[in-house]
Amino acid sequence: MKNSAWTVLGTVALIVTGCATFPDHATTRQIAEKMVGEDFTAPQPAQLKRLAQDRSQQICSKIGGAKLTQDEAAEVTRLARDSIRFPSSGKYAGDWKRGNALAHDGAGDRIQFGKLEARKENGGLCQNCHALAPGEINVGNVGPSLTGYGAQRGNSEAIAKYTYEKIYNAWTYFPCSNMPRLGASGHLTPEQITHLVAYLLDPLSPVNKK
Amino acid sequence: MPRSGGVITALAFAFLSSGTIAADPLAVGRQMLMEDNPGELWIDQGKKLFHNKRGPKNASLEQCNFGLGAGKLEGASVKLPRYFADTGKVQDLESRLLTCMEQLQGFQRNEVMKRAISRAGSNGSDIEALALYITSRSNGMKMNVTLDHPKEREMYKAGEYLFYRRSGQTDFACVQCHGESDKRIRLQDLVNMTDQKQIQEVVSTWPAYRGAHFVVRTMQWRLYDCFWQMRLPELKYESDTSIALTMYLHYQGNGAVMKVPGFKR
Repeated sequence: MKNSAWTVLGTVALIVTGCATFPDHATTRQIAEKMVGEDFTAPQPAQLKRLAQDRSQQICSKIGGAKLTQDEAAEVTRLARDSIRFPSSGKYAGDWKRGNALAHDGAGDRIQFGKLEARKENGGLCQNCHALAPGEINVGNVGPSLTGYGAQRGNSEAIAKYTYEKIYNAWTYFPCSNMPRLGASGHLTPEQITHLVAYLLDPLSPVNKK
Repeated sequence: MPRSGGVITALAFAFLSSGTIAADPLAVGRQMLMEDNPGELWIDQGKKLFHNKRGPKNASLEQCNFGLGAGKLEGASVKLPRYFADTGKVQDLESRLLTCMEQLQGFQRNEVMKRAISRAGSNGSDIEALALYITSRSNGMKMNVTLDHPKEREMYKAGEYLFYRRSGQTDFACVQCHGESDKRIRLQDLVNMTDQKQIQEVVSTWPAYRGAHFVVRTMQWRLYDCFWQMRLPELKYESDTSIALTMYLHYQGNGAVMKVPGFKR
């Protein structure tokens, strides 16, 4: 009798403290996703779809940067590999000079004051995160240095293909890495990516100069 | 190379040749920026806007309750965002200001919101000056955001979720740029928001004078601008998303000593 009274008291206490806890992940997700659905504007309604997550983005959004399970890593890798489209020319490497300009272009497709940034093509964004030609100081370091990329690896067909795939969808090789899936997301065209491949691999490119 | 690169290069060389700075030549430029902060001018402007009778109701903001009672500003900012029973919402400083400007002064909320983020090179907005003035009244006090109300805990967890939520054509969440120390986008230092010291430096220095824009900017602007760079749609002013993220960041920054205006590049 006494025991059961304590049990009841204990249960009440638990419920009271229970009120001071955080909502669980499913509830939080529901609340936050509702916010995302209501809290943004865009000049064209279709642009609001940018906020929707694809399957890979969902997997890659772990709170606190928790590790992927093996299955998750495999799924992201598979989806990435399936996303890759090769250039119609059949050549992985294009024009390194155009690649040079693209690599240093951080603009395109941003939305501000009710307008979409008007651009003929999007920039490659590379300089934001990667060291490029030797001696360039205005470069980021979120990603690894690409200085001497081709000089170190050579410019075989296999390296060109790998580099193309890496830029098209970085998650093919590093699931959920920080690097945007530039081709798969449509930010860059396959042709633009061939120019970036050339910029990284061509012995004449500033990236590969001493 | 963009123009700013040349300036920094020159600065870097000035230092390397003086032989006194070894580790981080860029730190010197930053120190120079800190020493003379034009943002101070906005404090007086905000003070006038707060005490003068304005709006259709010809009233001041002196009766505005930022959580510690009507008109009490000292220590109010360091406890925001928080839940307000009268609106039934978790509000940050800027959304609470809007509530008071609407209710006490009779301003149209939407009209004030449209002008809240000023154009670069302008005289700034009323909200920017007011937010700075009110926050400056907590200078020297410690950030102390609490999660007592269930809605505050909801907001906090939503903010955490959003901090890690990747989307858009850059596949970015906040953490892609703000999850590691000693990282830069081009020459711009990135704050590691998973490091308590660094996040404290952030939450205690907004509103801030933004050198490149010649105006004072607020946390609402800071978040809006991140989403712009991420190629996402435009974050609505005083939206729950913005307040959830602010709640998450401010709580992480508890203990930081307020010192506004900050000075940003």
